[in-house]
Amino acid sequence: TGGHTTEILRLLSCLSESYSPRHYIFADSDKMSEAKIRSFEQKRAETFSNSQFTLDRIPRSREVRQSWTSSVITTLYSLLYSLPLTYRLKPDLILCNGPGTCVPVCISALLLGLLGIKRAIIVYVESICRVETLSLSGKILYYFSDYFIVQWPDLKEKYPKSVYLGRIV
Amino acid sequence: FRFKDSLAEDLRRADLVISHAGAGSCLETLEEGKPLIVVTNEKLMDNHQLELAKQLHRDGHVLYCNCSTLVETLQSMDLSTLKPYPPGQPEKFALFLDKVVGFQ
Repeated sequence: TGGHTTEILRLLSCLSESYSPRHYIFADSDKMSEAKIRSFEQKRAETFSNSQFTLDRIPRSREVRQSWTSSVITTLYSLLYSLPLTYRLKPDLILCNGPGTCVPVCISALLLGLLGIKRAIIVYVESICRVETLSLSGKILYYFSDYFIVQWPDLKEKYPKSVYLGRIV
Repeated sequence: FRFKDSLAEDLRRADLVISHAGAGSCLETLEEGKPLIVVTNEKLMDNHQLELAKQLHRDGHVLYCNCSTLVETLQSMDLSTLKPYPPGQPEKFALFLDKVVGFQ
């Protein structure tokens, strides 16, 4: 969604073309991300000739401030979509930055890893908005990601297993 | 204004920006190098939305007030005290990721 998409596209801006093909997954209710992604990829195609990317939507896992119990149910529902999608894409690397949408995708990747089907590296970058506290996705994925990146020193202190590179968006 | 696609043009022409504490608004403004006053409404907002605005204020990049103190802030402000906002560095992320993945 919105801010998350802008941030993730900035993160992608300096990546080499070895990070290809890129598969974008976002919420079905998201109206603006598709345009932003296409615009980013279009610009990229001007420099890199063989640029490949795909777009996929899954049901939104959670609305802002949705209750915990109903969030579990809506996340499970999203999982019904994210599991076959992740199985089909078999990513080597998952890069996510916090919208609820990333949780079912990461859970799917973890399951595929446990089942010996495909082991993906999960890299989570917490939003620049998070200075003192982690988002809910962050609190969950801090334990399940391979690399957890924060953008402010306070968070690095509170979450010692995280990686601090300064502001990267 | 509500339905404009992008405020980028207006932003470029502005001398001063007064905005709510949304991250997108704040960062876009700072990256254009415009002075920014962030107006917060603690009753309406989520605690976490204020985190970035507060930090930017602590670092001297924005002026900070609420609806009732806005007029006073505008009257007494000294924009020369604001420090320029250094942009983020996605290159650092790229370097880190290359190492993680093995693309050195």
